[in-house]
Amino acid sequence: MSHGRLERQLSAYLDGELSADDAAEVRLHLSQCPRCQREVERLQVLKQVLGALPERDAPVNLWVSVREQLQQPRSSLWERWMESLRTLGLGRRPVAAAAAVAVVLVLIAVPLVRGRLDRLRAADLGVDVYLREHVLVSSGDPFADRSYLGLVIGDSNLALIGEPRRAKEER
Amino acid sequence: MRGRRSLSAGIILLIVGAFSRFALAEDGASPSLGPTALPTAAAVINAIVAAPGLVDYEGTKVITAVRGDRVETITVLESHKRPSSLRLEYLSPESVSGRLIVDDGTTAWQYEPSLHTVIQGPSFVNKAPDATLFAEGLGHYAATIEGTEEVIGRETIVLAMAPAATGLSRRLWVDRATGVILRSEERTAREGVVFTAFFTRISYSLNLPAPLFSFRLPAGVRSFSFYLGSDLASGPQQLQQQAGFSTRTPAVLPLGYRYRHGTVTRFGPVVAATTTYSDGMSSVTIFQTPTSRMGLPRAGEVIRLPQGQGRVVDLGHFRILTWESRGMRMAAVGPLPAAELALLAGGFDATP
Repeated sequence: MSHGRLERQLSAYLDGELSADDAAEVRLHLSQCPRCQREVERLQVLKQVLGALPERDAPVNLWVSVREQLQQPRSSLWERWMESLRTLGLGRRPVAAAAAVAVVLVLIAVPLVRGRLDRLRAADLGVDVYLREHVLVSSGDPFADRSYLGLVIGDSNLALIGEPRRAKEER
Repeated sequence: MRGRRSLSAGIILLIVGAFSRFALAEDGASPSLGPTALPTAAAVINAIVAAPGLVDYEGTKVITAVRGDRVETITVLESHKRPSSLRLEYLSPESVSGRLIVDDGTTAWQYEPSLHTVIQGPSFVNKAPDATLFAEGLGHYAATIEGTEEVIGRETIVLAMAPAATGLSRRLWVDRATGVILRSEERTAREGVVFTAFFTRISYSLNLPAPLFSFRLPAGVRSFSFYLGSDLASGPQQLQQQAGFSTRTPAVLPLGYRYRHGTVTRFGPVVAATTTYSDGMSSVTIFQTPTSRMGLPRAGEVIRLPQGQGRVVDLGHFRILTWESRGMRMAAVGPLPAAELALLAGGFDATP
């Protein structure tokens, strides 16, 4: 056991609250440590002084007030939240406080929603973007048919502006 | 007057023929596409690459392409002016009828009359093939001359291009006099023919009027401008810096493919690190976006990948594979079969 831990157990040792093994260990330590011996002496004096003090009865209405608080219903989440706002000094202007909270929520939510929508839109557009860019690159291939390349690029362009050719045929 | 025009046209074709012969002789691969000997495949390929700089033309083209579970036939008036101006007027089907695309080699304008809308974007005709990649690419394909055939009254050389590994096989009918592809056909081993294009008529010229290839904004139209790519990144590290998130490189690439360039694609909420790999003939583009910024695209058929599920959108000529890999939303777009794109996807999961 370390010195610090032994020192913290001195009070319990004096009150006879330690197990036999722990008490023997503390006793052995006290025989070798002058500092802890002094601490034990100080604690013994303190216990004697406290033991000599007269006992006084608790105030008559103490239990009544404790019972009243125990019997009160728990405040709702909203009340606790308003209480927190009052603590922060915003309770006098609840509308302003609610607006501030709403702005914070919007600032958090908008990028999240926008990121998700962008991700979905990218998935929708991806294939047409890929096709268009590949066809532009492959126009350098020596045997590429330029009328066909123009057709594919043109169809991809229409898909990118939201007017796909196939949809037009189905109309 | 008519006699003078036909004389001019004859002179033009003579000049084009001479220019083609010069270009091919310079390459040293073949003397010419001239009328006597059957040219080599290399000479025909060189003539195809040189053609846009040598001759103007306007013609009617019919394209048939597999798009998902259906086949679509498109008719378009295609006009080309040297070196890199293009005008496309789509005639059918009804859903594209009236669409006009004018590309001056720098900017492309798309006019949709039914929506009274103009969409402006980067040119798709100004990119000459990368010479080094192109030369490398030839090594990954078996190119053979299958003979000559007449297409809309013109003699063509039939060139077949088969990839050494998987990918699109092509057959091209190349105008012997001009190097312009009059008919083309693309097929995959699994689906067969997925794309055909052929001119039903064509007129050559050296002087199509310039106003045909300049675009004037109609009054009162809705106008959009889409330039989605950033500056090109020199390598994966610079791309990562531009994107602002870590990107991965594939552990394996399809045979012959190598890194071509990278950029960051931005459109609204879409931000993707974009890398392009090419075998010199075809390209595959990889898009990477953190899953925190992009949900799961719902387009396409669900397929099983070694690392989980993916989705494939099959457009016949192009396929788009989307999948998720360790916190990244991935997409591969290119002409490769879905199985090959799936292997590429597996290569990304193998990298740390």
